[in-house]
Amino acid sequence: MRKQYGALVVGAGIGGIRAALDLAVTGHKVALIDRRPSHGGILAQLDHQFPTDHCGMCRMLPLMSRDSSSQFCLRKGLFHDNIDIYLSTEVGEMEGEPGKYLVSLKRKSTLIDPTKCVSCGLCSEVCPVRVPSEFNAGLTERAAVYLPVPYAIPNHYVIDLDNCQRCWKCHEACPTGAIDFKFEERKDFHILVADRDPELAEFMRGELEEQNFPLHFAASGQEAVDALASDESFGLLMIGMNLNDMDAERLLTRSRELRPDLAVVVMADKGSEGAASDLVMQGAREYLVKPFKGKRFVAWLDKLYMRILSDTTEELEVGAVVLAGGFDCYSPAMDPEGGNDIWAYDHPGVLTAVEFERLMSGTGPTGGMLVRPGDGRPVKRIAWIQCVGSRDAQKNADFCSGICCMFSIKEALLAKRLTGGEVETSIFYMDMRASGKGYQRYRMNAEKEKGVRFVRSRPHTIMPMDDGHTLRLDYLSDAGELLSEEFDMVVLAAGARPPKETDRFALTMGVDLNQWGFVDTQPYSPEKTSKVGVFAAGAFGEPRDISESVIQAGAAAQAASRIIKAYDVLAGIETEPEPEYPDVSREPARTLVALCASCPTLEQAVDIETVSRRMGDVHSVCRVVPVGGACTPQGWKDIEEAALEFKPNRVLIGACMPYAYIPRLKELGRTIGLNPALMDVVDIYTASFNTACGIGDADCKEKAEKEVYSNLSTAVARLQGADPSGPAVTVDVARSALVVGGGLAGMTAAMAIADQGYGVCLVETEEALGGTAMRLHTQLDGSDPRKFMEELIAQVEKHPNIKVFTDSRVVLSRGSAGRFRSAIASPRGVFQLEHGVSVLATGGHEAKVYESGLCVHKTVMTHLALEEQLATGQLDAGAIKSVAMIQCWRNEGEERTFCSKVCCPEMLKNVLNLKQRNPDIDIYVFYRDIMTQGFLETYYTQARQAGAIFIRYDDETAPKVTFGEDHQPVIAGFDPILNRRIEIRPDILSLSSGIEPNDVEELQEVFDVAVDEDGFYQEADFKWRPVDFLKQGVFACGIGLAPRRMDETISSAKAAAQRALRILNAETIARETVVATVRHSLCSLCQACIAACPYGARVLDMDQEKIVVDEILCQGCGSCAAVCPNSATVLTGFHDAPMMSVIDAALEEPA
Amino acid sequence: MSQEFEPTILAFVCNWCTYTAADLAGTSRMVQQPNLRLVRMMCTGMVDPKYIVKSLLSGADGVLVSGCHPGDCHYINGNYKARRRVKLLNEILPQFGIEKERVKLTWVGASEGNEFAATVNNFINEIRELGPMEARSMAVV
Repeated sequence: MRKQYGALVVGAGIGGIRAALDLAVTGHKVALIDRRPSHGGILAQLDHQFPTDHCGMCRMLPLMSRDSSSQFCLRKGLFHDNIDIYLSTEVGEMEGEPGKYLVSLKRKSTLIDPTKCVSCGLCSEVCPVRVPSEFNAGLTERAAVYLPVPYAIPNHYVIDLDNCQRCWKCHEACPTGAIDFKFEERKDFHILVADRDPELAEFMRGELEEQNFPLHFAASGQEAVDALASDESFGLLMIGMNLNDMDAERLLTRSRELRPDLAVVVMADKGSEGAASDLVMQGAREYLVKPFKGKRFVAWLDKLYMRILSDTTEELEVGAVVLAGGFDCYSPAMDPEGGNDIWAYDHPGVLTAVEFERLMSGTGPTGGMLVRPGDGRPVKRIAWIQCVGSRDAQKNADFCSGICCMFSIKEALLAKRLTGGEVETSIFYMDMRASGKGYQRYRMNAEKEKGVRFVRSRPHTIMPMDDGHTLRLDYLSDAGELLSEEFDMVVLAAGARPPKETDRFALTMGVDLNQWGFVDTQPYSPEKTSKVGVFAAGAFGEPRDISESVIQAGAAAQAASRIIKAYDVLAGIETEPEPEYPDVSREPARTLVALCASCPTLEQAVDIETVSRRMGDVHSVCRVVPVGGACTPQGWKDIEEAALEFKPNRVLIGACMPYAYIPRLKELGRTIGLNPALMDVVDIYTASFNTACGIGDADCKEKAEKEVYSNLSTAVARLQGADPSGPAVTVDVARSALVVGGGLAGMTAAMAIADQGYGVCLVETEEALGGTAMRLHTQLDGSDPRKFMEELIAQVEKHPNIKVFTDSRVVLSRGSAGRFRSAIASPRGVFQLEHGVSVLATGGHEAKVYESGLCVHKTVMTHLALEEQLATGQLDAGAIKSVAMIQCWRNEGEERTFCSKVCCPEMLKNVLNLKQRNPDIDIYVFYRDIMTQGFLETYYTQARQAGAIFIRYDDETAPKVTFGEDHQPVIAGFDPILNRRIEIRPDILSLSSGIEPNDVEELQEVFDVAVDEDGFYQEADFKWRPVDFLKQGVFACGIGLAPRRMDETISSAKAAAQRALRILNAETIARETVVATVRHSLCSLCQACIAACPYGARVLDMDQEKIVVDEILCQGCGSCAAVCPNSATVLTGFHDAPMMSVIDAALEEPA
Repeated sequence: MSQEFEPTILAFVCNWCTYTAADLAGTSRMVQQPNLRLVRMMCTGMVDPKYIVKSLLSGADGVLVSGCHPGDCHYINGNYKARRRVKLLNEILPQFGIEKERVKLTWVGASEGNEFAATVNNFINEIRELGPMEARSMAVV
């Protein structure tokens, strides 16, 4: 029976997690897989993210139905009722069609039974293998049996079979017998070798004697087929390519007919590798080239045997597929042209950016000390070199990775912070692409406040100095001088590359790749791949930073839910109803304490009997039962039976790794009819290796026992005061949305919500739909934006679920998530509306700059106007001799605090357009930094190839515009390459003035939302909640949020719609375990809690004279309880009285 | 001060950052003092000063409050609230004969297991220097 899911998400990095969560919270079942043995992708390695220099990933966790998901650090792990995570898993095959894809997953076994592994680490200690650690980016070494991420949950050791030496030491060392190398099953693993060569048989018999594999030989194809037909016990078929009667292909086909699941290996001869790899495509597992070498052959066969026996497949049926494969970092070592030499990557002072990131981390090789990892030398001067492996056509990377500029600034700031500002930091760059929201300010702060030096130059050589310590960087200054500087450390800002084996993966999934090896996506739908029902999330379609990846993941989730809805996936499958638990609040607490007693490492350190006896004396403990291995099925059954027998109303389990038990507690709750909120798991294991002294030391034992006792009794005290949560709260959600703004973003969001069957009111202040995007006539990728917009407008206007109000505005909006009441003023009068969510897509406009003769001379225009004049034929490119363009144009003295992101592509579009129509035209572009992130870079290359001249300027050398005869502009500038002043007299001067957000002062008040210092909406969290407002139920998208191009605007609109669907889909909302309540008899209505609540979840109900808590909005932070002078506000589970007893229990000295 | 004095430390740690760091410190076997007692709170912003005072009166020689770094709070600004509260508390405590050094507020992020171990060890050393809390014996509880 295939497992059924709404969607399969491939890749459990940040994009995959976000897409999975977005789908899961709207009620879809999701399978989340990753080929790595850990989740989190590259973010597991990064402790800090720009532009805040913090993490905050946990803010992505669901805000509603919080209990259905894990409530701890997201980098540690993720649980969600609707998400099944499969690690070390890849997609084997996929067939079917949208709405019903049949996927078979290949699950690589870690060879360690996770139910038995207690993460004691003894296996790793005895392992003789040392290979570079992936987690520490190769700066440290790990054994072949290792922890993939030191803080992951659940944290079990895994075996890296590829690097295993088969010494079996770990197997012997494992105290719980968790490691399974399948020793016993070898004698039943029959191998059939079909090969004509008698010497091979001799060789194999000799070499494999110790392995005990029963070997069978067939000298002809027919013999092999007969053997397969008569005997079903074969585990492996090895086919030689030298059979007389039957070629290898035929035998492979026959064997697959007879035994479809039989593993087949091809033994190729030298020279026939091509034919052999064809056979692998036809279903053989792999091929091996003769002649075989004894030891290596045995190791290979033994590992293959373990894989065949341990690996499993999982068959799924899914509605849609989201690909979130992320990216790999370019490695200077993999440069075929000998990158090692150029970048001196083997020098201890040269690191890649990820390596540097690990160096700065507390879990890194030096514990967060800034010294050279190779030789431990101190670091005083660090240089960052940008665009290593990006923006480099010779390395098939004519694209910009888009993230390196920012992470280099972040790393420089982190280095400054770590050393108290002492370390000297220099960033060598070509263009500083700080184009995201707040990035420009971040950069300016780094430069002006924190003293990070920015050098615009690309060093051509890194020379290790003769003293063996420092590195010399040679580079050309602006003035053309050759400069040299010495550094202790050089960090290579290595860019993004498609993940390894993406081509094979794309073949499996049936999607196309683009010329750089990333997944090809469609114009105006950056989440759509070439295959219907398969979507790209995160950075898989184009290198992206976290914020954009998260938005892109939201868009992919939206597209997937559209498929799930359209094909009615999982219809008719009944979901388990939320169990109802008996109310035990009136009963005296009876706690069952189950202690895991069988763990050998624990037994050595602690006397479980003593602890049990002491625990038995603790108030409210009704029974202490020792169980053998709480983590094993048997141990768990014992706990269940004890619970059924003693009928406790609290259950406390003392074991290891408490986090891993959270999903199981829910199950236990169902079995024994007790609310999981009344159960807890306490770590009694860590204490056993916490003490500094040796095992067997009596004093040490006592200390450890004390600690275990204290942990347990504190937990008993806490459970005693735990509040059983009340019944589910029914929220009456108004199932419709209000979308403000009828531009591209608003219409896209409206369509996305309306297609899910909810009503949408779309309010536009102008007379017609369309907004700023209607001013575009062409796109760089050759698509037709006009046609797209006109079709979108037609669809919106015809949609039965969308009601469009043009020439209208929202004048009032009151209420909270799920139930807003708003008033729309239109020419036909004022309408009232009840809706569950609001989406603000108010957009922006071309900034108004009244300088340089704009609006005075006909020869001066903005980029948009130039595009329009070219498209409408008003301007004849053939009649123009020269055009000058000025980027980042602002009013005199106005500071550039953010990048508008659209002007550089707009400029390139005009350049290429003009050059295409008239190749002889002279084009001069004055620019500060060309912002062409991602694949836009290639158009910048094209523009330069077409002959446009790019002249950089900065604050001091900004071009000055005057006018000569016939309104001809005269531009006086400075060319840093010629190192002299220049004067240009073009026919046309085109200016980029950038984007400004539309004025939303009024809306800000109406919707009670904030804007940032530049006038864009202030989202809840730039990286993790990029389309949410702090106020729940209100979302933002498009240019109103930040400058965006068309496809980015579409993504943000879809992401916002997906977030909105969470609320619109809700019928009832289960009451959370941790939520604030008010005891009205004690409340003096001082309203201190209202001010303290960061979520606006509290209001004063004037009629009832009560403080009311909105249970959807409350996140259970407890700020209100701490400020309440009367203790009238309490947080469930954290009442004063139980907290006091918890403190008492924690400080109690056991007898 | 007597050499044998082993202070008891109570730490109120936030669920999102410091508790994770403490867990990491534990599972990565960084040596920790066994006289540390952890009380997990959802957020440092919910640590009522009365819990701190109660702990000092009930036998703790020092109280550590530790949460997410500024700007990093899962609940947006809970740690700022804690900062204000602890600052005020530190001003009041000496009036009751309690050294203000006995209450300490720190920020330890989720991945900073080593930082947590170091913070705790430093704090224990500081309290060890300070000696047992004498105000407790005088207080009428």
